[in-house]
Amino acid sequence: MGWRIRVVHETGYKYSSPVYETYNEVRLTPRGDSHQNVIVSRVETVPATRAYSYEDYWGTQVTAFDLHAPHTELLVTGTSVVETGDAVEQVREATWEDLASEAVRDRYTEMLEFTEYVGRDGELAGIAKNLTRGKEPADAVLAACERVRDTMTYQVGTTGVRTSAPEAWQAGKGVCQDYAHLTLVLLREMGIPARYVSGYLLPLQDVEVGETVSGQSHAWIEAHTGGWWGFDPTNGIPIGYRHVSVAVGRDYADVSPLKGIYSGGSAEALDVSVRMTRLA
Amino acid sequence: MTSVSRAADRRPARAGGKPTDDGAAATDGPTASGTNGSGTKESGTKESGTKESGTKESGTKESGTKKSGTNGAGPASGSALFDGYLGPDRPSPDAFDEMFDADGSVRAPYRHLHDAIAPTAAADLAARSEALDRMHMDQGVTFGLSGKERPFPLDIVPRVISASEWSRLQRGIVQRVRALEAFLADVYNDAQIVRDGVLPRRLITGCEHFTRAAHLLSPPNGVRIHVAGIDLVRDQEGTFRVLEDNLRNPSGVSSVMENRRTMARVFPDLFTRQRVRALADYSTHLLHALRAAAAPNVADPRVVVLTPGVVDPAYFEHSLLARQMGVELVEGQDLFCRDNVLYMRTTEGEQQVDVVYRRIDDDFLDPLQFTPTSVLGVAGIMNAARAGNVVIANAVGNGVGDDKLVYTCVPQMIKYYLDENPVIPTVTTFRCWLDEERGHVLDELDELVLKPVEGSGGYGILFGPNATAAELRKARKAIRDDPRGWIAQPVVQLSTVPTKVDDRLVPRHVDLRLFAVNDGEDVFVLPGGLTRVALPKGSLVVNSSQGGGSKDTWVLAATRSSEAERELGERGIAPAAPARGPAAEHGPDLTLGQQQQQQQQQQQRRPGGQVQELGGMRQEQVLRRTEARA
Repeated sequence: MGWRIRVVHETGYKYSSPVYETYNEVRLTPRGDSHQNVIVSRVETVPATRAYSYEDYWGTQVTAFDLHAPHTELLVTGTSVVETGDAVEQVREATWEDLASEAVRDRYTEMLEFTEYVGRDGELAGIAKNLTRGKEPADAVLAACERVRDTMTYQVGTTGVRTSAPEAWQAGKGVCQDYAHLTLVLLREMGIPARYVSGYLLPLQDVEVGETVSGQSHAWIEAHTGGWWGFDPTNGIPIGYRHVSVAVGRDYADVSPLKGIYSGGSAEALDVSVRMTRLA
Repeated sequence: MTSVSRAADRRPARAGGKPTDDGAAATDGPTASGTNGSGTKESGTKESGTKESGTKESGTKESGTKKSGTNGAGPASGSALFDGYLGPDRPSPDAFDEMFDADGSVRAPYRHLHDAIAPTAAADLAARSEALDRMHMDQGVTFGLSGKERPFPLDIVPRVISASEWSRLQRGIVQRVRALEAFLADVYNDAQIVRDGVLPRRLITGCEHFTRAAHLLSPPNGVRIHVAGIDLVRDQEGTFRVLEDNLRNPSGVSSVMENRRTMARVFPDLFTRQRVRALADYSTHLLHALRAAAAPNVADPRVVVLTPGVVDPAYFEHSLLARQMGVELVEGQDLFCRDNVLYMRTTEGEQQVDVVYRRIDDDFLDPLQFTPTSVLGVAGIMNAARAGNVVIANAVGNGVGDDKLVYTCVPQMIKYYLDENPVIPTVTTFRCWLDEERGHVLDELDELVLKPVEGSGGYGILFGPNATAAELRKARKAIRDDPRGWIAQPVVQLSTVPTKVDDRLVPRHVDLRLFAVNDGEDVFVLPGGLTRVALPKGSLVVNSSQGGGSKDTWVLAATRSSEAERELGERGIAPAAPARGPAAEHGPDLTLGQQQQQQQQQQQRRPGGQVQELGGMRQEQVLRRTEARA
């Protein structure tokens, strides 16, 4: 029996002068997969809007809304209840030869290519090469996660949402987004299909049922070594009860939780909070 | 707010061409009042009535003509204009000349034209040529060349395509459009063609114009390529080959119409000698296709043309099409989305828009999905389309179908989706992203034409034979750096057509862009097209953006009934499809195309259902009946 977790993700925008028109797309609905089961999920806004929802190319539920009444504040709340499973097992089916086969390389081509965030870097390529030596693909994945975690220092504020993996590597510091992007660079250099996962992490291991704690938006990776499986390079742990995933993609750009445009207004202030409650 | 004004001539067509008009009337609306150019459908009189209506003055010119001449040096004809035309020093002796065959006799489709032109005095030609230029300028037919607006020069000698050649071309274009439609529908759904191993996934996902935001966005009537512009060339053997598909935002159809209009005014006599197919109903077909694209629940769909504005080189075309269709011409700021419905701001308040014929590139169409800073487009329009409340024509993401690498796979698509063999062959193409083909390209680069996969307008093309060693070195490096970005083709010696340079007619290379309009049931191929001509001696680059000119393109009507039968009976031209749902859905003001369709349905029982092709005549009947009813 897994955990049952409620996630309340609130994002508040404040504008110094009224906004007359705004169009937004949010990705706040957890996905259903073998690790987790979505019981209920909804997205609401204040002022109220008529939401429209669709599934994007990557299979993520997108909620789109627009607002045409002048407003100086906008609050977007995503509320979900999710049942999560035990630690995700590693898949050890594929050999290096399998991964190098034309069939795999073509099938997972999008998860093998480099992007703006998952940028190529000579130093990282060398590291990737060393890490594969004498290892099975699945072990190489773990080694890559470990290497990133060992080298990087977790520090909020040194990197931003637009920081690419090589930039974070130069800085030596970063947050979960940078850890994930760096791991993806290493894995794709190795020829292992790997993708970015966004979601939430319940920070406490021994949280009581019924207790609400301040959680956080989180990011980790999934690798394909005969099947997809996830690992959390920031914390060096498998994906377990405390992880709630929302979206997968090639990098952060494919999964950004909120994006939108507006006209009028200026000087926005952003206020984000994630509250997580273990319900069972 | 731009010109949101309903064009005055809302009537999609008139029975304008009086049968008694002189020869000029036999073509595209030279006598029509300025506003409706090709809205006029005189073809009824034209195709059948030209012969007797011709002014006989032209006959006098004819008298001096000799039909043939086989004396070696020049294609004989006894005319100074053609002196040395086929001389040994002409720039591309191995190219296929469309007017003269190898021993200097005039090819059949060009015979009447040649006979008319040959006796013309050089001075007369010059005068007419001048008149042509002037008219063309007055029309404002221009294009952008490296950021500057220039007139698009129209050559005085038309390009002629025989009825049988056309029949084949038409079949080939219809087939190609159908295959590409199937491909786009597949690519933006579950990509069966990839699952079945026919094409690699990389080919699609690696394409810059593969648009993930268009995934699972299915238009109501399934059409994504409302308008296609297919570029063809004619090789040394005279075989037409497809060079490129344009499925995004093909332009040039206004040039086709304006060229005809201008030619008919300056050379009315030329049109009296043979039956040239009319172009007049392009806008009618376009409007019909756009209305047919709307969701079925919309009884009377509102169509708009979305333009980037007057700064766009094709603005003339946008405004012309909007005017001819009788729909609004709007810019992004005239539109807005609310709750996934698209509205137009008008002086009478908001009005819902059902179909947008947009002439804005994908990147600028929706700042929410694509370039966020774009002010040309409409925020939220993609989701409005996804919700089924508006149709974007052409569909977003079509670029994956006209990528130059994907081009190499169209024959496979035709086989896979239609189980047919390509009617029109393509040009041999080496794909630099495949190791073995790249090797060949790198070795033979000095004999190939290298093209960027994502390029258009002739930019970035390298002619191996003309390139310097340094250029070749640079190109080889570019290929190695980005193999996906390049293809190479053997130099195709484009066919030549006599073209006026100074006061002589000399061979110049041409290509051909054909326009197809898909309404979901039929693919209409405009019987005519944009022939672009490379004006510099020996040049093979015909792009208007590279200083090319254009020619009026004549498609000859079939002369014998048997030929007509064969041409008209082809599938895809006027298919014997079962009658559609009740015609009442279209509301009271049927467009010409719809009338035509109804007529067509009534005619279904006749073998072949040739209505589309005989359109001229029937349409007029329909119109008369409509008038009588009114």
